[in-house]
Amino acid sequence: MDILLIHLFNALLYASVLFLIAGGLSLIYGVMRIVNLAHGNLFALGAFITASAVGQWFAGSTSVWLYLLLPLGALGAAAIGAILEPTLLRPFYRRPEEYQLLVTFGILMILEDVMRFVWGPYPVSATTLFEQMGSMTVGDWIYPRYNLLVIAIGGLAAIFLWAFIYRTNFGILLRATSQDMRRASALGVNVNLVYVEAFTIGCFMAGLGGAIIVPSQSAVLGMGVDALVLSFIVVVVGGLGSLEGALVGAVIVGLLRETAISLFPELELAVLYLIAALVLLVRPAGLFGRAT
Amino acid sequence: MVGLGAGMAHAQEKPKGTIPDKPFKIGHMTFFTGAGAVLGEPMYKGNLLAADEINEKGGLLGKRKIEILKADEAAGTDANTKEMRRLKLSEKIDMFMGITSSGNTPALGPVAEELKLLTIFVDGCTDFLFDKAVPNPRYIFRITNIQSADGSTCALGVAMTWPDIKKVAHIHPDYSYGRNCFDHFSIVTKKVLPRAENVSEAWPKLFSTDFTPHITKTLGAKPDLLVTSLWGGDYVAFYKQALQHGLFTKMKVATTLALGSAPQSIGKDHPDGVLSGVHSNYHFTYPGGNRWPLNKTFVEKYHAKFNEYPNFQAEGAYTATYVLKTAVEKANKLMGGWPDDDAIISQIEGMMIPGPGGYVYIRPDNHQGYKDAITGFSKQVAEYPFPILDPTRIITIPIRNITAPPGWPKGEPTSTYTWIDQTWPTVKTA
Repeated sequence: MDILLIHLFNALLYASVLFLIAGGLSLIYGVMRIVNLAHGNLFALGAFITASAVGQWFAGSTSVWLYLLLPLGALGAAAIGAILEPTLLRPFYRRPEEYQLLVTFGILMILEDVMRFVWGPYPVSATTLFEQMGSMTVGDWIYPRYNLLVIAIGGLAAIFLWAFIYRTNFGILLRATSQDMRRASALGVNVNLVYVEAFTIGCFMAGLGGAIIVPSQSAVLGMGVDALVLSFIVVVVGGLGSLEGALVGAVIVGLLRETAISLFPELELAVLYLIAALVLLVRPAGLFGRAT
Repeated sequence: MVGLGAGMAHAQEKPKGTIPDKPFKIGHMTFFTGAGAVLGEPMYKGNLLAADEINEKGGLLGKRKIEILKADEAAGTDANTKEMRRLKLSEKIDMFMGITSSGNTPALGPVAEELKLLTIFVDGCTDFLFDKAVPNPRYIFRITNIQSADGSTCALGVAMTWPDIKKVAHIHPDYSYGRNCFDHFSIVTKKVLPRAENVSEAWPKLFSTDFTPHITKTLGAKPDLLVTSLWGGDYVAFYKQALQHGLFTKMKVATTLALGSAPQSIGKDHPDGVLSGVHSNYHFTYPGGNRWPLNKTFVEKYHAKFNEYPNFQAEGAYTATYVLKTAVEKANKLMGGWPDDDAIISQIEGMMIPGPGGYVYIRPDNHQGYKDAITGFSKQVAEYPFPILDPTRIITIPIRNITAPPGWPKGEPTSTYTWIDQTWPTVKTA
């Protein structure tokens, strides 16, 4: 029985981080109709910022206050997002989609080089946070407590985001803009402001994903592209533009990966693409997608 | 034997004939971006250090300064072959060097042959290159040990250290290197540890960072030994997660490349006593002290220039540059003037040269470099902020013991595999 619980933790751990990345990607698409290819590297940026704060600036410290550095990566990614949207993306909204893809892909490459320039080619670690919480026993098993913190943060983020979008005034403006940008604008909604805020929140989520997972992994070059591909699988399964979809998609991907690794190790790489292909065949808009 | 570096430099003889003072251009392609940069950067730096040393003395034959043109291997295999053509045809490079990935040497090797481009691959060590892709090389060479040596070295290290191992679990990155390590570890254990059996396999994607499911699966199989060929950031993430799952206390762990990719990226938290592979090539602490002066001066100079310690790629690229220098000088002595590529190639074939890590022999039939394989056990010491190979327990294996010899027919999956399978005796168990 214990082993099932451990497998469930593993799957939820993976799903939590995936949800944060894919949720941000989906939110941005839902509101702005932009497929932000740079999104993966905002995740990586969050990881690098938190890793250097914990592992380099405050290296050697074992204070519990170090946990307050966790959100730093998220704030950093959000700040970059708040700059990118008005300066580089806004001029392209009236152009065809290809332009936006090219611009966001360009930003992806630039961010990758910026990270290499700042942090160099070697992995940056923030293990103190991971180690300090130690491990707990589940039956015969030893399990890192930090993983449960990651799952908790992922879950809380999902609840906050839901409340934010469905229970606040700003959420109403966000949904209105997402449904009909022109009409919202005609009714006096400051669409530019809504866009920059939505983009910033999306980047914050990606950065948070990177920041909370980096203590148990380490920040490496190329991690952003990998995350981008995985979050595309999640949004294909869940439906692009839908937050519920991102949540359900992330959980499905987490569970499937866990099952494949323990039962069919050779299928680990293929299984995620297989499920994406299957969903595309049966429900091309994704499980929660709106057909347009 | 021709000296290398400052440690063994001897007075340079005056070259014969007239030597042009045109720079000697080397196109150096390796990973400068992405997760592979952890191996690519040190490779470039090793080439750079050797070139600077040579240039300080006036260049090759005292006249031709080495000029290095960088190219990023991360562009992808197709783009890499185009870039190799461009470097030769537009930039007029005299030589090509570098390459990290085993996916790229089999694609670039035939192109280099077609372009008649003198090439020393530093890594990209797949057996496939000289077994199948270019079975009769003329212009291309490779300096670091062949890939199959990694799995074999690891298995022999295990057999020597933990001969009672019965249940073995595997975690390997799912690409050619991981598959090759698994194959050769398995065929060697079949011969030397016939009672050992595989109880678990996991094949994470290359450049993964979440290994919790693979660790759970491994722990569930209750093995005596875990074998893994994870490297770079993957290994860093793996061992940190494995520590918090108590994996290192429940089984022995043997690796092929753990301390090989970037020695300084492994932390103080890494446990001692892990069989820690260095790609069966080189770790900067061995041979230590002044036991092999070439290594002492190489490590000192590298650290002074780049503020980090060299890995096996840095050692490979450094030695490759001196292979070139030595071949050019020998050819000049015979013929005078600047030697043509044919003369340089004839001098590289069969060359044996001391590098920082030991003697390297370039076999004339397959142009592959051979040096005795090493592995060892991780140990935290006061002098370094990261684990090194325990200097009292280094394992070295004569390379001829673990690689198919000249004249052995090409085999599947590798020549070395069929050679081990058909010629090694099986250890008798009581």
